[in-house]
Amino acid sequence: MAEIRFEEITKKFGDKVILDHINLDIEDGSFTVMIGPSGCGKTTLLRIIAGIGPQTSGKVFLDGEDISGLPPAKRNVAMVFQNYAIYPTMTVKENIEFGLKNNKVPKDERERLIGEISEIVGIHELLDRKPGTLSGGQRQRIALARAMVKKPKVFLMDEPLSNLDAKLRVSMRTELIELHNRLKTTFVYVTHDQTEAMSMGTRIILMNKGVIQQEATPSVIYQDPDNLFTAQFIGSPQMNVLPFPDEKVRYGFRPEKVHLTNEPGQYFYTRKGHIVTKEMLGSETIYQVRYEGNSVMIKSLEDSFEQDHDVYIGVKKPNILLFDEDERRIRPDDARYEQWMSKL
Amino acid sequence: MKPKITVWSVVSFLLKVILMVIFIFPFYWMIITGFKTYQESIAFPPSFWPAQLQWENFVKVWESGPYLLYMFNSFAVSIGCLVLQFLIMVPASYAFAKMEFKGRGFFFGLVMVAFMVPQQVTFISIFHMMSRANLLKTLWPQILPHAANAFGIFLLRQNFMQIPDELLESARLDNANEFQILTSVMLPMGKPTLVSILMLSFITTWNNYFWPFIMASSQNVYPLTLGIDALRDVEGSFDWQIIMAGNVILVVPIIIVYAIFHKRIVRAFAYSGIK
Ligand SMILES: Nc1ncnc2c1ncn2[C@@H]1O[C@H](COP(=O)(O)OP(=O)(O)O)[C@@H](O)[C@H]1O
Ligand SMILES: [Mg+2]
Repeated sequence: MAEIRFEEITKKFGDKVILDHINLDIEDGSFTVMIGPSGCGKTTLLRIIAGIGPQTSGKVFLDGEDISGLPPAKRNVAMVFQNYAIYPTMTVKENIEFGLKNNKVPKDERERLIGEISEIVGIHELLDRKPGTLSGGQRQRIALARAMVKKPKVFLMDEPLSNLDAKLRVSMRTELIELHNRLKTTFVYVTHDQTEAMSMGTRIILMNKGVIQQEATPSVIYQDPDNLFTAQFIGSPQMNVLPFPDEKVRYGFRPEKVHLTNEPGQYFYTRKGHIVTKEMLGSETIYQVRYEGNSVMIKSLEDSFEQDHDVYIGVKKPNILLFDEDERRIRPDDARYEQWMSKL
Repeated sequence: MKPKITVWSVVSFLLKVILMVIFIFPFYWMIITGFKTYQESIAFPPSFWPAQLQWENFVKVWESGPYLLYMFNSFAVSIGCLVLQFLIMVPASYAFAKMEFKGRGFFFGLVMVAFMVPQQVTFISIFHMMSRANLLKTLWPQILPHAANAFGIFLLRQNFMQIPDELLESARLDNANEFQILTSVMLPMGKPTLVSILMLSFITTWNNYFWPFIMASSQNVYPLTLGIDALRDVEGSFDWQIIMAGNVILVVPIIIVYAIFHKRIVRAFAYSGIK
């Protein structure tokens, strides 16, 4: 059991409000990914859970127990830092052993744990090396082993893959998912990479400027965003968002939800446009299409349309999302929904 | 590929040779004079190598006073300073580098002031304090005023500041207390700097003449520097070969220390950004 609850968490640095009255539940056993643009307060939130950067006000609960006043070591959480924070003067083994020694774990138990964990993480042959001689991927594994060996209730990971090269990042992603399935412990994972968030998270918390924008499963975040920020942050290329003429309300559709045809098709939303650019990416092609003074991106499996030619675009009704003047979603059950849709 | 010989490389080489001669020659002169007879030491033109090595000069120095005691005093003072400086410098640097507390800037400013005010300004009041504390007949007046090494605190703080905060936070999550963080994480990383500071400090204390000259009120507490100085008065006239033999005895420990640690000393200065 390890469920985390934030109650009215606020964090200020001087007068600057970094986190603004955060209320949040992180489910036991979830792989919760916190995502948001750089500087939005993700690390700050992790540090509050760990107890190394206390909140200005509000409370944190772990399994119903108020841990706001507990020192870091008493919280039963382990953290993997963005720069790994491996003790450079200790060997790999000493790094992993340090916390165990401080917790007065007997020697044979320590040996057993280190053996077990370094087998799982695959650093067995590195145990006697000094960190200075290791690669980024190896350091990352050591940081992971150091966290795992304490058998914490919660793993906190701050962009652990951001310092690795692209290939390694993809394979580590799979390994972390497997690790989570095996340990069934709560993971709180911070990233600014949406692919990581979508592929790893069982739940996603999307933040911006110290405020939670939406908290949901990856598919809900993608298909049913609460607001414009969420809709545009997730998805690549990002969602096309267009204004209703002379209005503050906007509508949007994802590039991959658009059908291209040479003749007008039977779609709720049909427009004739002109292909301005074409980018062939292998399995799919990105077109930029202009019409009525708008420019939209379209992702298609069809490669047959040519640049500088006219084309018809079509979008089905459920794939069009509405956003009000405060950038909040207008959902189909909203009284205003049909009224705005009829204007398209 | 052969290195190219340019005008500049020749000039640079010659300059280095000249610099070396300027620094090494007095040293060389001191050593060979220590091995000459009196006649030879004042002969003109001077000889660049003693006709016969006069080892008995050193015996004479040793027998002209309680040199074993002087040597003991020098070691006691130097090592006493080192130990106290270590005990004060390490926690002070840690606090100044990594802890938030009221008046941190002010107190660090005080340390910097202590670093800049010369001893010649403070020695009278310190002498007065030592006399009031009835310590003048002991070695303490040569040790206590140097217990806090302001320059060392500055250097070690610079070094500690470069250690990322995440390392300390990680250690806190690993259930380490402040003392363990200091001994297991900070000190091992600061070791090269610390060793260099302590070596420099040893050399300074060992060579110090002015301070014991003020503070040592009886022969019992003389360090070697004062003992060597006393050689001038033994015979009335200047026996250069004896004085130089004394100087050789004085610098041998320094040369040993420097030979062992010179790489570290240079590196510490490179780290701190002074070099
Ligand atoms: N120790 C600090 N002092 C002042 N401002 C800070 C401090 N740490 C972080 N901040 C600010 O708080 C904001 C959020 O930082 P952070 O949580 O690290 O963002 P990120 O989402 O990129 O991890 C940033 O604007 C950053 O400048
Ligand atoms: Mg961050």
